[in-house]
Amino acid sequence: MKIFLSLSTCLLLLSTIPVFAQSRIVRGQVFSKKDNQPISGASIILKGTTVGTASDLYGRYVLQVNLDEFTLVYSYIGHQTEEVFFGVENTMDVYLSPLQEAIEEEVEVEKVLAKEEEVEDPEIILQKDGARTKSPGDLIENIPYQSFDRTLQGRVPGLSVKAASGIPGGAINARIRGVGSIYAGNEPLYVVDGVLINNVSYSIFTQSNPLAFLNPNEIESVEVLKDAASTAIYGNQGANGVIIITTRKGKPGKARIELNAYAGETIPIKFLDLLDGPEWYAMRRDAFKNSDATNPEARALSNMGVLPDNWNQLSPAQLDELGLNLPTYDWQRQMMRKSMMHNYELSASGGGKTTLYYISGSYHYSGSSFPPVDFERGTLRASLSQSIKERVRLEANVNLASIDQAVPFSTEGSFIGSPAFAASTILRHNPIFNEDGSFNTQIGGLAGQNIALVNEFNSGQTSTRSGGGNFIVNWKIASNLNYKGLAGVDYRDLEEFRFRDPRTPDGQEVNGRNGVGNYSVKRYMTNHTLDWTKKIDKSLISAYIGYEFLTEEREGLSSEATGITTPSFNNLLPGSTLVSSDTVWAGYKRQGAFIGLNYQLAEKYLFHLGSRVDGSSRFGSNFRYGIFPFVKLGWNLAKEDFLIASGKVSDLRLRASWGLAGNDQIGDFRALGMYGPGNTYAGGTGIRPISFDNPNLRWETNETINLGLDFGFITGKISGSIDVFQRKTKDLILNIPVLWINRADQFLRNVGGLENRGIEFEINTINMERGIFSWYSSFNFSYIQNKVTSLYDGLQVDPDNPRWAVGMPVGNPAFPGQLAPGSWYVAEYAGVNPATGRPMWYDANRNLTYLPTDADRVYFGSNFPPYFGGFNNVIKIKSFELTTFFTYEYGAVVSDGQYNFLRENGTRFTFNSLHEVNDRAWRVPGDMTDIPRNFALNSGNAARNQNRNFGSASLLKADFIRLAQVNIAYNFSSEFLQNIGLSQARIYAQGINLWTISDYPGYDPEFMGVGTGQIPVHKSYNIGIQLSF
Amino acid sequence: MERYSILRGLFFFAIGIFVFSCDLEVDPRQTTRTSEVLNSPANLESALNSVYGRLRSLNHYGRDMIALSDALADVGRATNNSGRLVAENNNAVNAHFSAGFWQNGYAAITELNLILDQLEKGVNGANEDQIAAWEGEAKFLRALYLFDLVKVYSYIPTAVFQSGIVDQGGIPMPLIAVKIADIAQLNQLPRSTLAQNYSQIIRDLGDAINLLENNQRSAPQYASSAAAAALLSRVALYNGNWQAALSAANAALSSDVGQLLSGENYLSGWKSSVHPESMFEVRIQLPSESLGVNTSLQSTFSTMLQVTNKNIRGGWGDLIPSPIVLNFFGLSALQLGNPATDNNNWDVRRNQDIRARLYTTGNDQRFSRRQIECIKFLGKNGFDYGDNIPVIRKSEMLLNKAEALYHLGRETEALNELNAFKSLRGIGPVSLTRQLLLDEILLERFKEFVFEGQRFFDLKRYGRNIDKRSYLGSNALVDFEDFRILAPIPQREVQLNRNLNQNRGY
Repeated sequence: MKIFLSLSTCLLLLSTIPVFAQSRIVRGQVFSKKDNQPISGASIILKGTTVGTASDLYGRYVLQVNLDEFTLVYSYIGHQTEEVFFGVENTMDVYLSPLQEAIEEEVEVEKVLAKEEEVEDPEIILQKDGARTKSPGDLIENIPYQSFDRTLQGRVPGLSVKAASGIPGGAINARIRGVGSIYAGNEPLYVVDGVLINNVSYSIFTQSNPLAFLNPNEIESVEVLKDAASTAIYGNQGANGVIIITTRKGKPGKARIELNAYAGETIPIKFLDLLDGPEWYAMRRDAFKNSDATNPEARALSNMGVLPDNWNQLSPAQLDELGLNLPTYDWQRQMMRKSMMHNYELSASGGGKTTLYYISGSYHYSGSSFPPVDFERGTLRASLSQSIKERVRLEANVNLASIDQAVPFSTEGSFIGSPAFAASTILRHNPIFNEDGSFNTQIGGLAGQNIALVNEFNSGQTSTRSGGGNFIVNWKIASNLNYKGLAGVDYRDLEEFRFRDPRTPDGQEVNGRNGVGNYSVKRYMTNHTLDWTKKIDKSLISAYIGYEFLTEEREGLSSEATGITTPSFNNLLPGSTLVSSDTVWAGYKRQGAFIGLNYQLAEKYLFHLGSRVDGSSRFGSNFRYGIFPFVKLGWNLAKEDFLIASGKVSDLRLRASWGLAGNDQIGDFRALGMYGPGNTYAGGTGIRPISFDNPNLRWETNETINLGLDFGFITGKISGSIDVFQRKTKDLILNIPVLWINRADQFLRNVGGLENRGIEFEINTINMERGIFSWYSSFNFSYIQNKVTSLYDGLQVDPDNPRWAVGMPVGNPAFPGQLAPGSWYVAEYAGVNPATGRPMWYDANRNLTYLPTDADRVYFGSNFPPYFGGFNNVIKIKSFELTTFFTYEYGAVVSDGQYNFLRENGTRFTFNSLHEVNDRAWRVPGDMTDIPRNFALNSGNAARNQNRNFGSASLLKADFIRLAQVNIAYNFSSEFLQNIGLSQARIYAQGINLWTISDYPGYDPEFMGVGTGQIPVHKSYNIGIQLSF
Repeated sequence: MERYSILRGLFFFAIGIFVFSCDLEVDPRQTTRTSEVLNSPANLESALNSVYGRLRSLNHYGRDMIALSDALADVGRATNNSGRLVAENNNAVNAHFSAGFWQNGYAAITELNLILDQLEKGVNGANEDQIAAWEGEAKFLRALYLFDLVKVYSYIPTAVFQSGIVDQGGIPMPLIAVKIADIAQLNQLPRSTLAQNYSQIIRDLGDAINLLENNQRSAPQYASSAAAAALLSRVALYNGNWQAALSAANAALSSDVGQLLSGENYLSGWKSSVHPESMFEVRIQLPSESLGVNTSLQSTFSTMLQVTNKNIRGGWGDLIPSPIVLNFFGLSALQLGNPATDNNNWDVRRNQDIRARLYTTGNDQRFSRRQIECIKFLGKNGFDYGDNIPVIRKSEMLLNKAEALYHLGRETEALNELNAFKSLRGIGPVSLTRQLLLDEILLERFKEFVFEGQRFFDLKRYGRNIDKRSYLGSNALVDFEDFRILAPIPQREVQLNRNLNQNRGY
């Protein structure tokens, strides 16, 4: 309560500030819809007057208007004129649609530049003062991904994005400036139209990305806040960065109807090069020979389940002939297929002086490499804004989405029924179908189920119904004092079922198994800010104060039953025997208050200072609240006389910031001493203590220092920015052991430290703009060094997990709620002994050993790539437009469970193998290779080795460069369009993930988690059309 | 006008904040806060149930206090049917009471401390009698857990081996309720002395005897005043308080909890779900509470599911009577009919000792084939692998009494007690004095409590060697001086607790 008393004192102080004349300062940025580049020199005129201004080199404008309500007219040569009504809103970014008159445009550009130089009294603009990257939604428009987070891959320096798998609408791993926590989570905060979104999947049977509730094409802009000084205003969760999404809203003017559609197909990126039937036989036979086993031919055939009953009457040569003439079937292509993808959207928007509206609906379907895994979504969206009287504007945004995802036996894990696991591990001499077309059920080898049958008969679905939205009140209390109140809802309901058909091996024993789950997430929040602005001479002062409250409840129910009576109906039928039934409930609350002061002097010197106080129910009673202050300083050198005089530099800004941000993603109730279920006894129930009271558990705090430089040259051809940062995690939460004589094992305590340091670089260039031809590039690069700086009690290595060690990177957890895995800490693989073909490792003294021990382990980096970025090129020739976008990652070290099983080359289990592995296997003395000789019996020398995948033998480099997007578009000319009643039309063909440069031996280097049985990322082609009326 | 509207705006804003700003407490719904949970009679009893239930754990009476200790001693022979208890039977280093025993025992004690803490503060809706009874139960249980821990990890006061050893004291003894994590972490208790441990145990039992006088919860599955007296009698024997052992045994004998059985009744006692002799036993009421086919007592001692059809294979039969035990009862395999492959055609030859009928041949489908097994535990609770586990039987009081009388110099009375006991088991009287009398009393104890977990500690408290040379080879002798008499303290606890010394040799 204390903080609110002091807060109200601040309010009282503020209220004594004198009142100023009635005038409004509006600002914003003008962009061209053509290339999303800012337009410099666009004219902004107060409608019906000659009052106006022009946008600067970055398309920015500021205008002071002595009216309560007014309309501004935005115009620029070669573009359609836009009129925008200003009610309460004081900032407005405007996108002008180009007319198709390229030659004329070029002339005008020069004119405008000349005009720019004439501007004598530059308007005051709010300067960029933090490490934040804003991109308009057009950049990611029509990329056929299901959630916007994935579209950001490679686009934003400092933001690493990876798909956890190829499940459409599946989990996406996004990390802003590295991994900053072990126990407290690393998820960025997602804010959609002011509403903080819960982005945890909660699905039991598949990955269901909560951010897929929003059609990515509904996004007007995406802003990524990286340094603590920028995120401080979001306080809690800000530690991991903030991603702010603004959706499309209605704009004044005549009604505009847009139709957008695309269709295409998804295609597996890669098929593994597996041994065929006879090859596997030969490999296995030789393995038995190497092991000095008797009857190697018969044993190999027996492994494959095709040994004839009369085998001991057959000679080795006859058995060999049998094995070498086995058939081969393509299980991978049976299971991995092309699939459809299509998307339709219709929107209508417009409005007048008092009312703005935007309504839209969309439908999206996408398959995956492994049918039936798919994603189907329908959304409805409405945004309405109404001005009441002169000073108040009400706004409401509602988004409804319904998502269905088909679920096979499993989307992850080494289950023989998991399609992505079995498709490559099943032995290929096994026919898929019998001659009569029915499924073959006699499958030899350890993957002894017909995965095609399992996939066909089982069924499952995860359905998400989500509703989110907000209600906003903008109240202009005085000309320079604004109140904004927001109430928001984030609601999601998951319904899931999974069915094990009695005709499949897993359902057979229990006559069918039915799993059902239901999970709902309800989040309510409210946010209130007061915002005051004053212009004095050449300086601009603004101050704001605010309060935020959020509450979340989650509850779930799941049950499983066996003995399904009518398998042909497959789903949701109750079983005769209830196997398990479970419920969960969790919830938490947060609240925070913030205050900030922003001062700009003569556009040269920027000073921004503020703080936020946050409380979270997740922490202990002694330290529930944390204080997160920040300071930002900026110096716009371009406005200094000496640089203006040079006439070369248009933009040169130095930025420095310091700030704290908090992290409370530790899960609910971790600070509470609780009793949970205990032993039953003599017919009575039991309860027992399950945790200690932990009143000192407090916020994990990130302290970030950021130094940035923005630059731009007067020719406008090169601009960019460089940021250097140090992000220190203080009060790192770790598990501290407790003696068993005090009952529990451990508890969480704020003890350690972690650090991410890095450099981010971004450059945008206009390579050529000549006549009908123009070429734009943008490139970004990030380097992040991540390491643990301290544990507890002076420990260098954490006893719970030695992969967490001082000086070593902390690794990247795949999914929310998981702990950071730490660095790889394994014995170093030394390849095979050229004399014997046995695998060897280095011991602690760098001597070779067949049996490395724990003491021989060394660190091998982590699964987080220290280097990543993207490279975008847009080339325009007349009305044609070609976009190519590459992403790249370097330096991640991963272990791929699926590849590891295949790398065993059949030595541990009778699974299939890769040509690439088998061809490399040691065969004769002198062979220098990394794959040991084939061996079949676990005895003799072979038994005295470590497993061939032990230590660093199973580590892979996951470096890649990928052509993530290529798009060829044609924009129809406006004369042509006007004749048929259209205002805009565009057709395009697009390819996603078409080309990957990588020597990665598994399905794909882009995945998170264990990699076993995961649905790999796919590529896709589509064609599309966009029409506006 | 402007000024007024600014003030008005700020006023509403401030009001709004006060309305919205609220307490950040969120209560879990599937668990309950430690601070308030025990303040209700139902929850307090549930909390006690959890502690009773811990006795059922594999590491405690579920198996180890019974079978593992008998494997360490000369009671059993490991068959290697599943491989379990083989190393323990060979007294291999570190094959002893495991870390889980320590963990489970101390977890129980800390749970009891929380319960006792709440009882001191009072329980909403409970009357004084209830509170007294719960306190009695908690103290009985705390004494039982402490006693079991101290007798495993420390020497027994009647025989402490000390030559050249730094720390062979008692065990750490947490007695205060710990609710806060930081305090738990700092709570690095050293070993108490043996005297401190035993006086705490005796104090708890003394309290329990008084507090439990009006306990409504029924014996033998819940603590009773008589059970506390009986346990006190055993503790006093271990502590060398002979007079106290005698009077506690007399008090236990005079109670109506448990019966003394003889002849056929004694045999049928072992066939009934609740052993009539039990003064305190651990209840296994539900199939889910059983340790099942691998590690339950039935599975450990027998390969059969039922004695009426030995051809149905049941558990592992990992520990069978040693030749010493077979010799007590004149046991040897006997074929009753043909074919020999039918397990039902086999039984044993046995002497007139009524206890000999607790042994028979088993099922032949395990590694060690058909062996003579003990059938004290054979799924008597109506489901497989479900047997209540007697912790104190009333018969023990007779033997405790004889032993105490002997040490008090009342040899004649001791001999009378012994012979009276022998007659209950159908064997003739003896006439012995001095050491021979004591040896006979202890031998009788051995015979009576085969596979009931007493022998290892009886040897230990008299400083005697574990001698398995007659059946495990010439090296199978563990001298009392050997470090393997004591269990290793879990390495984790020694590493984390700078005040705690590991036992000698580990």
